[in-house]
Amino acid sequence: MFKKVLIANRGEIAIRVAKACKELEISTVGIYSTIDKKSLHLRFMDEIVWIGDSPAISSYLNIDAIIKAAKQTKCDAIHPGYGFLAENELFAKACEDDGITFVGPNSNTLNLVADKVASRNTVKKVGVPIIPGMHMTSTDISLFKKAAQDVGYPVMIKASMGGGGKGMRVVHNEKDLGKSIAISQREALSSFGDDSIYLEKYIEQPRHIEFQVLRDKYGNCIHLFERECSIQRRHQKIIEETPSPALNDKLRIEMGEVAKKVIEASDYTTAGTVEFLLDKNKKFYFLEVNARIQVEHPITEMVTGIDLVRQQILIAAGEKLTIKQDQIKQNGHAIETRIYAEDPDNNFVPSPGKILYLSEPQGPGIRVDSGIYQDWNVPPHYDPILSKLIIWAENRDLCIKRTKETLKNYVILGIKTNIGYLKRIIKSPSFCRGNYDTHFIDEHEEKLLPKQEKLDFALIAGALNKSLGISIRRKEYGSQYSQKTTPWQEIGKWEVCGQ
Amino acid sequence: MEYKFNFFEKTHKINLEKVDDHYKFIINEKQKYKISDVEVESNLISFKSNNKFYNIYCFSDKDKTYLSINGENYTLELEKDISTKSKSGKQQKGNSVSSPMPGLLVKVPVSVGDEVKSGETLAIVEAMKMQNELPSPRDGIVKKINGKEGEQVDALQVIVELE
Repeated sequence: MFKKVLIANRGEIAIRVAKACKELEISTVGIYSTIDKKSLHLRFMDEIVWIGDSPAISSYLNIDAIIKAAKQTKCDAIHPGYGFLAENELFAKACEDDGITFVGPNSNTLNLVADKVASRNTVKKVGVPIIPGMHMTSTDISLFKKAAQDVGYPVMIKASMGGGGKGMRVVHNEKDLGKSIAISQREALSSFGDDSIYLEKYIEQPRHIEFQVLRDKYGNCIHLFERECSIQRRHQKIIEETPSPALNDKLRIEMGEVAKKVIEASDYTTAGTVEFLLDKNKKFYFLEVNARIQVEHPITEMVTGIDLVRQQILIAAGEKLTIKQDQIKQNGHAIETRIYAEDPDNNFVPSPGKILYLSEPQGPGIRVDSGIYQDWNVPPHYDPILSKLIIWAENRDLCIKRTKETLKNYVILGIKTNIGYLKRIIKSPSFCRGNYDTHFIDEHEEKLLPKQEKLDFALIAGALNKSLGISIRRKEYGSQYSQKTTPWQEIGKWEVCGQ
Repeated sequence: MEYKFNFFEKTHKINLEKVDDHYKFIINEKQKYKISDVEVESNLISFKSNNKFYNIYCFSDKDKTYLSINGENYTLELEKDISTKSKSGKQQKGNSVSSPMPGLLVKVPVSVGDEVKSGETLAIVEAMKMQNELPSPRDGIVKKINGKEGEQVDALQVIVELE
């Protein structure tokens, strides 16, 4: 087993990985950029190394600096988390060249699966259904034009190294193609350090359903069922649930087996996710392999009871997978809502800044994977994810109710967040019915606007705070228990009675 | 006592009066509330209204009061001088574009002296990996550009001014 792991990430996922390492008795090395000096993830590390200036390109995307930090601290492995360098084969290769284990598939596999185009071509050979589109990336606009004409508009432009919707654009006609290509390339470059893009047919009314897979270095492979991730804004998931309300057992088993086939065809190891689109006729298409631990992995952990990050590390260290497919069961229901620093009522504009007050929920079936604390300044340089609220309950109906009630008790003041917005989605009739696709947010824009039902009470609270806040606070500080005796003291001398 | 708060570009007037053990509130000279059992702690305000009990999280920062009620957030701004504020606010809107957030100035596709149409992109700002195109508020001529491509900009920093 590894002795020391460098965690090449920040925020909640760096903390999640650090916790798994500690349970495996592995030392943790954290990295940080200039602006992240006070970030929460560093509190979970045994050693920390500064790796560069605040922009991601100088720090969390800086391969040389990260490898140097790992060597300096004598790490035997690097865990990349998600985003940043998680699916970058140059990074995996650099680790291999320096004798450091990359917690993920090897660079050859990564090259294949992280490259959406190459992986499409590979799985097609073993009979996995794929969406029609380009067979290679290009910078030549005429090739895009031709491919778009072949498959028919609307088409989707995608970043080959992409994930999380960055660099993705839907194009409805040839006129918009050039502009969309340019934007996609720019976003792909700034998000992934690689501007390769390609085009495929756009599937209308799709549901996004993915399967979690684990595979060891000896060819043992299991899937841990699906996650439904159709609630997305700007192609980025914000709510995920499992089991999916769209699948029946027959389809679930069939897609799980296809997912394993994809993983085996790519000789993939550790934890991975096979993404599918399910169209309105319940026909499914392979989309891509996410060669990393996913943001939404906790919902699978909640229903299967298996710690995916632990399994990922064990497999990377060369251990054999001991869990058999028939041992995996879906127990109950889980929903994840992603808490972002953004303003959903103003086109999801990011909202970095200081968290003035924070109160995170707790209770039965409630898990908060958080990367924030009160008085911390959320920096503008990175993805706006603050934390993830993961709810488990014995069935979907109860899980929805518990999620709604828990969101009401998640308080972040000072910056804009999407908490109220998430609550409005969870409450909406079509979500409750399980009847939704990836266009849910666009189609429900009006209905998801804040109703401001409690504005009058906000105004009352504001006025009370202004008129009473300061004077009452002053009184409290002065007199708390200092003049009077407490009831315990009034009782007098007392002894503990045993037996 | 009277307070005026701005919320979503609207000014709300709140009158409160203490009567015996409760408060009488009148909001916007219309809606009346009887509020009792008031407790104000540093980050929590609780009270009863119409036999319902309310717990409202709160943080007060200079003129701004941040509130959370049942998962919905409200930011109230204490109104000081309504007349000058709305005037200068309007002027700002029509004659320039400013960044809605701190971030990186990615591109300024116009130059001083350019004629621009309403809705035309005057600047692209990136924060948290999201690019925002800032559209021109009206037809006009570019008077001044503050900031260079590749530079950091602050929230509400005016980037392009129109004549």
